[in-house]
Amino acid sequence: MTMRKEYDFLFGPAHPGSGNFSVMLKVDGERVVSARADPGYLHRGLEKMMEYRSPMQNSVLSDRVCVLEPLAWNLVHAEAVDEMTGADIPERARYLRVIMAELSRIQSHLIWYGGMSSGIGFDTGFRLAFGYRDYILEAFERITGGRVYPAGYICPGGVRKDMPDGMEAKILKVLGKAEKMRMLEKFGTPSLLSRMKGVGVLKSKDALMLGATGPVLRASGMKTDVRKDDPYEVYNKLDFEIPVLEDGDAYSRYVLGIREIEESIKIIRQSLKDIPEGRLKRIKPTFTKIPEGEAYIRNEAARGEACIHMVSNGGENPYRCKIRGPSLLHMIPVLEHLLKESQIADVPAIYWSLNPCPADMDR
Amino acid sequence: MHEKEIAGKIGRKTGMKVDITRKRRMSVRTDSRGLREFCVCAKELGFGHLSAVSVTDFIGEGEYEILYFLWSYQDGLALTVKTRIGREEPSIDSVSDIWGEAQIHERELHELFGVEFVGNADLSELFLEGWNQTPPFRKDFDWREYVRSRYYRNEGRERGYFEVEK
Repeated sequence: MTMRKEYDFLFGPAHPGSGNFSVMLKVDGERVVSARADPGYLHRGLEKMMEYRSPMQNSVLSDRVCVLEPLAWNLVHAEAVDEMTGADIPERARYLRVIMAELSRIQSHLIWYGGMSSGIGFDTGFRLAFGYRDYILEAFERITGGRVYPAGYICPGGVRKDMPDGMEAKILKVLGKAEKMRMLEKFGTPSLLSRMKGVGVLKSKDALMLGATGPVLRASGMKTDVRKDDPYEVYNKLDFEIPVLEDGDAYSRYVLGIREIEESIKIIRQSLKDIPEGRLKRIKPTFTKIPEGEAYIRNEAARGEACIHMVSNGGENPYRCKIRGPSLLHMIPVLEHLLKESQIADVPAIYWSLNPCPADMDR
Repeated sequence: MHEKEIAGKIGRKTGMKVDITRKRRMSVRTDSRGLREFCVCAKELGFGHLSAVSVTDFIGEGEYEILYFLWSYQDGLALTVKTRIGREEPSIDSVSDIWGEAQIHERELHELFGVEFVGNADLSELFLEGWNQTPPFRKDFDWREYVRSRYYRNEGRERGYFEVEK
């Protein structure tokens, strides 16, 4: 029998722990020697597709940038068009946008949470997270008509329609449920801690060099958030904290997720209190052509920095639309860096702790 | 105003004219040969995060506009660096040794627009598989024709959708 030292080990693309994404690992026994990300399974050419469609059509298409948080991408796209057309957005619509974006952040963090728990074999966490997420999806269905995809609810000019009557009370009820997720932070059982503590440590310096943003960067000790540093919509009127943790390991990212859910709940409660009274009129597009020029929008999505750069030459459709998703950086350079010298059993824990979304990476 | 102060600082250090487009947004246009020199200065001035790199294909002018979106964590400002190159055999110096994250952005644009980033160590294929045609995001690549000929050889089911003229 000849001894072979290194083997190729394919993690994904149809693995339950990876989604539509795969990593080619070189392993020596249980030790991962090197990793090479292999994206592209969800590449739809969205940037090119947007060049052939009008902004109202693109707002529906922008749902598909990230399957796990479509509303956040609706918002980035709508803001880019608003900046180009110079639209005057009613204050109530701005608050509604923030409420929806934050609800979307909570449900996205719950998926993150569920994935992370299932990645380390903690099935209770997985079921709890997906169960609580469903309450939010039910609220989405009442407001937008779609549980997962809102069909461009946040659109250029505001939002497609106002909330149905009595929705404020319903949202508060949902938040009460989501708050119970806090108990997961206390589930510090030895088996859970041993799978996450000290696993996949991302140092602050490396995080910055590899282009990490959002929760991944904050869990490595860097205090930054687009909602505070570069406020959009009504975030500058709201009072909230940016949770930061120092360790940079999978456990820090796990805990940071829960703390961010708490801050989002705080934001939604304030917004529901401050939102101007009245009903929004049904939105009618006030433009047929996008004025010539360009816009660059940065937002804080659940996964990190979400940007759109839109260029128009004065036509009906955008001339170019560049989408910058946070997962491209997290899933390729950061993941490859963290998997080096890890153990095969830690691969799902590290993968899920980065809050991945293959859809916004491939676009 | 904070933006004016930083724009002045960049102007003095690099000799470039910096436009303030709106609150917290600045842009500068540079020559493709002076790009690296400018980028080194920008990083020294605190623009440590390269958020994205993009290409806009101005086919009518025969040029590619390459854009670098920078963010300064310390000053809370965004700076867009723009430069133009010819769109036939496009080539430009890589900035991947200045900002590590540039590596993957350049690899993506190499695949989708065919830009050669000189100095980038890994420009292998990323999303596509065995692609040997015109880079797909160029304006002269007809993706409707490609999809029709590649996937719908037998006319029928999806014909209606792809026949729609925009």
